[in-house]
Amino acid sequence: MSSPLTLPATKAARPRTALVAVGAALIAATYLYLVLVQPAEIAEGIGGTSSLITLFGFLGGGALLVAGILPSLSTSSLVLMPLGIALNIAIGQTAGSLGLQIYLDAIGTVLVAVLAGPAAGAATGALSNAIWGLFNPLALPFAAGAALIGLLAGTAARYGMFRRVYLAPVAGLLVGAVGGLVAAPVAAFMFGAAGTVGTNALVAAFRAVGDSLLVAATKQGLTSDTIDKLVVFTLVALLAYALPRRSRAQFPFLRRYRVLAGRTGSATGR
Amino acid sequence: MPRRRVFNPLTELLAAALLVVLVLVVNTWQFSLAVLVAAVVPGVLLSGKPRQIALAIAVTAGPLLLSSFLLHGLFFPEGTTVLAEWGPARVTAEGLQFAALTGLRLAVFTGVLLTAALTVSIPELVSTLTHRGWNRRLVFVVGSAVGLLPHVAERARRITRAQQARGLVVGGSVPSRVRGLLMVSVPLVTGLLIDAAERTQLLEARGFSSPGPRTSYLPDTDTAGQRTARWLLAAGVLGFACAWYAVGAGR
Amino acid sequence: MIRLECSSFAYDGGPVVLSGVDLAVEPGALVHVVGPSGSGKTTLARLLAGQTGAGNGAQFRGALTLGTDRLGFTGGPGDPRIDPAAWSSTVAYAAQRTEGQLSMMSATVAEEIAFGPANRGMPAGELRAAVQATAARLGLTDLLNRDPRRLSGGQLRRTIIAAAVVGNPRVLILDEPFQGLDADARAEVARTLEVLRAAGTALVICAPMLPGAAPGRSRVLALVSGRPVFDGTLGQARTAGLERYAIGTEGSAPDVLRDPRGWAAAAPASGFSVKAGGPLAELAGVSFSYRGEGTRGQAEVLRGVDLRVDPGDIVGLTGANGSGKSTLLQHLNGLLRASSGTVAVAGRPLGRRTATGRLAGAVGFLFQDTDQQLFERTVLREVAYGPAAAGAGREAAQGRARTALAAVGLGHAAGEHPYELGFVERRLVAFASLIASGPAVWVLDEPTAGLDLRGRNRVGELILGHAAAGGAVVLATHDGAFAGALCTRILELKDGRILSGGARRGAGGA
Repeated sequence: MSSPLTLPATKAARPRTALVAVGAALIAATYLYLVLVQPAEIAEGIGGTSSLITLFGFLGGGALLVAGILPSLSTSSLVLMPLGIALNIAIGQTAGSLGLQIYLDAIGTVLVAVLAGPAAGAATGALSNAIWGLFNPLALPFAAGAALIGLLAGTAARYGMFRRVYLAPVAGLLVGAVGGLVAAPVAAFMFGAAGTVGTNALVAAFRAVGDSLLVAATKQGLTSDTIDKLVVFTLVALLAYALPRRSRAQFPFLRRYRVLAGRTGSATGR
Repeated sequence: MPRRRVFNPLTELLAAALLVVLVLVVNTWQFSLAVLVAAVVPGVLLSGKPRQIALAIAVTAGPLLLSSFLLHGLFFPEGTTVLAEWGPARVTAEGLQFAALTGLRLAVFTGVLLTAALTVSIPELVSTLTHRGWNRRLVFVVGSAVGLLPHVAERARRITRAQQARGLVVGGSVPSRVRGLLMVSVPLVTGLLIDAAERTQLLEARGFSSPGPRTSYLPDTDTAGQRTARWLLAAGVLGFACAWYAVGAGR
Repeated sequence: MIRLECSSFAYDGGPVVLSGVDLAVEPGALVHVVGPSGSGKTTLARLLAGQTGAGNGAQFRGALTLGTDRLGFTGGPGDPRIDPAAWSSTVAYAAQRTEGQLSMMSATVAEEIAFGPANRGMPAGELRAAVQATAARLGLTDLLNRDPRRLSGGQLRRTIIAAAVVGNPRVLILDEPFQGLDADARAEVARTLEVLRAAGTALVICAPMLPGAAPGRSRVLALVSGRPVFDGTLGQARTAGLERYAIGTEGSAPDVLRDPRGWAAAAPASGFSVKAGGPLAELAGVSFSYRGEGTRGQAEVLRGVDLRVDPGDIVGLTGANGSGKSTLLQHLNGLLRASSGTVAVAGRPLGRRTATGRLAGAVGFLFQDTDQQLFERTVLREVAYGPAAAGAGREAAQGRARTALAAVGLGHAAGEHPYELGFVERRLVAFASLIASGPAVWVLDEPTAGLDLRGRNRVGELILGHAAAGGAVVLATHDGAFAGALCTRILELKDGRILSGGARRGAGGA
């Protein structure tokens, strides 16, 4: 039964675990370093060193994650990624130019994560910010945070947080809190916590009561990111449920973990 | 008018990235200012589209600079030299200095990277990555994402018009805005996903999963000299950074 | 060469969409697979292309034979998995939706054509030669440096065909290659296909209607509801009475009932009211140019157009691509605003600030690409959107939606998901949305493009019924037979001007 026209029995490509682990460790170490060691330095002006560490740790970690994940993705997940990235940039750019307090730049990432799983979501998030960096360099250092959002969104989808429309905002709230914590040191050490007019007002309010820059940025991140991800997750849930059955059928992740309630259930079994 | 290309996109992007690293390593306002005046400004002027790039830089970095000055100029609790005070807001010398340093660095960061990115020809970059044997999946995601961007924007515009023709009025209350957003994004995302399903089949049929290296239709504009230069540049900046920190100037 | 035996095919445990098909394609053959929307043409095309849907929950029972290799399928997990890359080197496929057929990573047509061989690692020199040879053969040499996302419909189709055949496959499967194309573009694509056939490539062309011009000895397989109802030569097919299955011939006049009582009840469905006297819409001295689009200056697309639309009018606009038809139509509901001249709808002039959305109740617009507007989860909610947005209550809006759906013949589909319907039904859903909003003026851009015989007749009857009830219709079309049979006036546009005034004719073209 070996015709040149057929493929051999499937052996699913596995992610390169070592690369993924090193990437994740690098990101975690960078974050811990920034939070634990640096706050003292900020009073004398931001050190170039901490900016460098932020840039290399988060970008390098993101690159390793992508390198580890990409070979394991199916073609249908792969095709979805550019689409998610284009949606992120198109919508994020619009929201940014409108001066909103929220960013809305993760709709594509979360959509890919829900349809194709956490790995595809993480890779989409990281690459999205890397590519956006070509048009808006300020997005570049947030790549690791974006990857984390994709990873968590996919995990939430896998464990049924999208099976009910009212659960999605809850998941968004939690993921947003984590995302805000991770993004805060980047905002503080790379950009002195400057952002859009909306986010700045928040930072200014926290600074006015005497918070340090990192603490103010963290509080601002916790506020904006939770609201942002709450909105994003809700929108993605509405979008996913509006999809026709046939477009949902192309994503094995949706079937295997019964991500969405109702008609896509694994009626056909294995 | 596209300028005459001197170097391969990969070389230019790497040079820009290394310049940013240098600025962060040296970390003095004098050096940042020097890079801004000696590298970014001529780069923009010689780019062949100075107005477009200047506008992009202004749009990206401008609001950030402004808000940075407002934020740190008015609220900098660590500051001791108070120049003026209104209620909770205090203008401090340290705050202004902090804002200037951060702002200058931001300006260099966006200026250098945007000038490089906006003059780079993406097809040439994608082709170079292919010729250099980068992972074809990564090259596809980058190339396809950049290629989809104008397509997505154009499609969103057409859908908005179609929905207006059947009664969507843009603006108004928050619920009606949300409904408007959904009216545009549902057909947009659904259409893109249906296309993606067909593109999946297309990629498989066109042999995208084939083993071995991909080739590119576009000629290779990279040269052995530039490849060597890239390694040398990277090594040079690394060496400089080590030396800088070893001498202790980085404190 | 290739043979498909399909005893049954179903998606996801759903109903069987194709069964009882045994189709063998000989080298160099020309096969037309015809059938109304939803008859299983696309499924058949995909199976021939080796897409058996394994992994997407589809069950295929039957066999595929390519050359001497016979692959049997039982619909179970042990079925063979076809290697799409190996299959496509012999059997190439060009799918229906054009945008999904672009890799989106090519900045030029040449790179898009080169995409397949480049993936397989063809050396640069050979690659250029292969692309240039294919382009020369199919008349695409002038387009090689163009952006594939900015081509006209016909050019895009030909690019996709070129990208599919650059590896010289023996068979090419095409799913509705003429969909949405005007007469000139159709001729372009037909010429391309003729070149391929002359070179010995076997062609399988899926389309809703029998071709108007093709060798009488070519083969026809007619499908209805997933089953073959006719298999023979084109000459036999023309006299086999396929009209009873709603399979017509390209370019024939629509078969609308001449008796007004038989016209679909569009007027009560839309429930519009017309004030006595005065035109429903009027353009006076309208000129228009697109601003800020590229550097090609500001060429005027419309130059001093006058058009008066009275109750009972069915105005047909004809003219080549780029003559300004679509631009003119979009002035009628304010999507475009005249650079000079005036536009009045229902006696009131359109101001600069009149939102297009507010005009939806007065002027209904059917776009050429329907899929840009479907956004609800069920057909009923989709159609009820218009009246609801205009302020009708939920019950009233749904009532009007039901009436409109019945008028287009989709009363049974109210609970379906719009995107799960076939192309023709989706188009009719969009038409029903228009009717339900109750506008007195219908503006239709290529209303018959891609429709099957039944859909085309239905649209014709709705138009006649609307005009008879005192409404007016303005339509742009390349379907000369359709316009000739329905329109009270036919205006030809050229370079932004109305060429022929178009004498007034009796309704129904009698």
